[in-house]
Amino acid sequence: MKKNILQKVLVFALTGAMAMGMLSGCGNSGADSSNTSDTQTTTDNAATDNSAATDNSAATDNNAADTATEPAADGAAGVEGYEAFADNVTLKVAVYDRGVEGVPTVDDNYWTKWVQENFGDKYNITVQYVPITRTDVMTDYALLAAADDLPTILMEYDYPKVAQWANDGYLTTYDLNEFAQVAPTYYQRMVDNNQIPYTEMGGETYFALALRPYYNTTYTYQNFVRMDWLREVGYEEVPKTYDDMVDALTKIKEAGLCEYPGSPIVTNKMVAVGADTQNYPFRTYPLNEEEWVMYGDYNVVPMNWEPTKKYLQAANELYNLGITNPEYYITDDETWKADFINGKAFNYSQYISANMDFLNSFYENNPDAELAIVPADAEYGGSYGYRTDNPFGMIICFSSSATEDELKAAWMYMEWMTQEENLFTMQWGIEGENYTVENGLPVSVADYSGDYTQGFNNSKDYWCVTIESRNAGTIEEIIAATTPTGLPQDFTQDVIDFYNKRLEISTTDYACTDAIFAVALESVSEYSGTLASLWTEYYDTLTMCKPEEFEAKYEELSQKYLDAGFQEIADERLDAFNAGNTTKLQ
Amino acid sequence: MAKSKTSEPAVKVKTTWKNAFKRDWQLYLLLLIPLALVFLFSYAAYPGLRMVFMNYKPAKGYAGSEWVGLDIFRKIFKDADFLRALRNSLVFNFLDLIVGTPIPILLALLLNELRYPKFKKVSQTILYLPHFLSWAIIGSVAYQLFKPSSGLINILIMNMGGESVPFITEKWHWAVTYLLVGVWQTMGWGTIMYLAGITSISGELYEAAMIDGAGRWKRMWHITLPGIKPTIITLLIINLGRVMNSNYERLAVFGNSQVRDFQYQLAIYIYEKGLGNLQFSMATAVGLFQSVIGVILVLLADKFAKMLGEEGLL
Repeated sequence: MKKNILQKVLVFALTGAMAMGMLSGCGNSGADSSNTSDTQTTTDNAATDNSAATDNSAATDNNAADTATEPAADGAAGVEGYEAFADNVTLKVAVYDRGVEGVPTVDDNYWTKWVQENFGDKYNITVQYVPITRTDVMTDYALLAAADDLPTILMEYDYPKVAQWANDGYLTTYDLNEFAQVAPTYYQRMVDNNQIPYTEMGGETYFALALRPYYNTTYTYQNFVRMDWLREVGYEEVPKTYDDMVDALTKIKEAGLCEYPGSPIVTNKMVAVGADTQNYPFRTYPLNEEEWVMYGDYNVVPMNWEPTKKYLQAANELYNLGITNPEYYITDDETWKADFINGKAFNYSQYISANMDFLNSFYENNPDAELAIVPADAEYGGSYGYRTDNPFGMIICFSSSATEDELKAAWMYMEWMTQEENLFTMQWGIEGENYTVENGLPVSVADYSGDYTQGFNNSKDYWCVTIESRNAGTIEEIIAATTPTGLPQDFTQDVIDFYNKRLEISTTDYACTDAIFAVALESVSEYSGTLASLWTEYYDTLTMCKPEEFEAKYEELSQKYLDAGFQEIADERLDAFNAGNTTKLQ
Repeated sequence: MAKSKTSEPAVKVKTTWKNAFKRDWQLYLLLLIPLALVFLFSYAAYPGLRMVFMNYKPAKGYAGSEWVGLDIFRKIFKDADFLRALRNSLVFNFLDLIVGTPIPILLALLLNELRYPKFKKVSQTILYLPHFLSWAIIGSVAYQLFKPSSGLINILIMNMGGESVPFITEKWHWAVTYLLVGVWQTMGWGTIMYLAGITSISGELYEAAMIDGAGRWKRMWHITLPGIKPTIITLLIINLGRVMNSNYERLAVFGNSQVRDFQYQLAIYIYEKGLGNLQFSMATAVGLFQSVIGVILVLLADKFAKMLGEEGLL
């Protein structure tokens, strides 16, 4: 029988198609092909922009890369001196993917395109955003590092993490003078805010620091409680001491207002406890500096430390009084939020912003309810001590595989984002769409959803490369702009009061920041994972045991915890302190 | 039952490699695809295994990471957590095997006895369905059902005057729940192979047995079961190879702090200590250890099956 030609062709075509399909699975050819087209368009645009830029600028030096090491011909540093790169440069910038609903795709949306058009195209740079899973940052970066595909700009809020990156070879060192040349505004701001000491690790310059305005007051995280229930049991304001709060909650439970109200006393939410625990209100101030270095950090819980013991004792009492839901350890945040919305919980806490979904839903379900925020001088742990944030926002790092041009593009990007007009547009969006102007100040449109929808929290994950919050006007005006609007209650004054109280406390010993280490601690990377899971297990055991068993169990488990690696961490921290490699207690 | 033996062809046809290729080149071309896939995903990654002898750091890569010989293995075998995870993995996987093997067989026998075809099909489909549910869904449904005070089943028990049962919050109860939900998820799917085996049994055997006066039970015992014996043994050997593995998703969705003593199995160990602490060498070393033990178990089981006069797998 003669072979059918069609059959042959089909076999070839089919095999070919399948093989190509399969091979395209390896590597990121999909992304590559789109890049090519991107590059082409950007090159086109940049070509025109380039000529325009040369026309306008006084600089005679056409090779932009040179400006990285030498000042521009006319001495203009910063954005005015920028020229387009001769060859297109790809700038990869990390951006958190928080898996939140209702926000556009993090690496491809109106605002990423806006950056490309207004920054990238101008200087012949292709800006690519690399999504980083918010809940699994370290693994995501490790995979990128293993694939030799780290973004040019890496970012993290926690110093121990970036210290580990520096130690593991993810990062490049850089020259602050060169940086100052390309990004003078950014650099000067670091100088003005005393951030330069934090740029170093082991004597080398690794990091640049974004600004965190009002870092020492941390007023943006608020705990909302049921004021109407408190009134019903005879409290005219939110109780500020442990005893009063427990009394109020017990009465709320007895009055049948809520079966398991929960409390803002230990964990803010009555859910399975996470790896980190803030025992700041349970500490005795002023702190002993050595203890502060060894145990003061909240990422790895110091289980053997007295404040943690007090914290656990409180958790145990609340559980045994029936204030805590006996199923709390198999409850997640979403369930707790739903409980609050449905009037089955006493409190819920979150970062405040102009539009807070859970509050909208809460008032829809409970139109007659009244909420209040927990005041700054509540001292449920025995003091109103609290953790001030780091004196910086994002810690900006640069990939060890970045070329000189990529590094320069990264600095240009940071400087460009710091320029007032660019930052304002990124933070607020488009007038008449994302915000309106009232009394000379921008006000976000509460429930905007359209083509210009911003990323999570007003696109913060993009502009955090330079600053941590939106700041239009005085602190009162800023608070007014970031407090939820369109609700039956207005919390602006409460938050302002909270801020003022915190500001007062911030000058005392009760405002406590964590020690920052200028060396990478091996023991932390070795044991923190194990200790985190041990902590969640032990926390629950100690919370749910009978009060009379608490003491013995605590002794046994905290010893086990020390043996599982915490002792080594404490020792290594103390060594670093003695060697002068840490910040000092202020 | 007589063993089917492949008989020698009567006429030996000389086929050269070239001729065969010329004749069936399309088929060979198509074969390239699965071969390439297997090569790519099963073998091309093998060189990566050398990280078990290194202190592998992602940014330094293979070239820059330090060689440490057997240090990683020494560290693992001295680790009390590893031993606990190993013990739990072995115990639970053997229990899974013991509970999980007979139930699909029983179910296949029962399904085979159903005479009304539509009912049989519907039952089969319903039984298969759990196999297609992800563990995330099964886990959250299980929690909704079994929570100590707000779970549906416990609410029912308490309404009838009983006491709440800690199905998923006390380790011994948890162990039973964990195993039974596992069986529930896989049993329907497991029947497919056995039903296929049953279909291939000649109908004449049943007819002959019926003429000889064998009832339903006798026919099942003497014809159906021996008929699917090779299938049972093959599946058992394959499953033995998995005794060291554990399914991270299944463990994760059922986990909570109160059952960690039992829930802490190798998959959790690898994820928390290896990947969570970015100790890739360690994670890989435990993975390799699991695979090697798995292969040894398969080989042993195969040998044992052959000793018993069965065909085995290899």
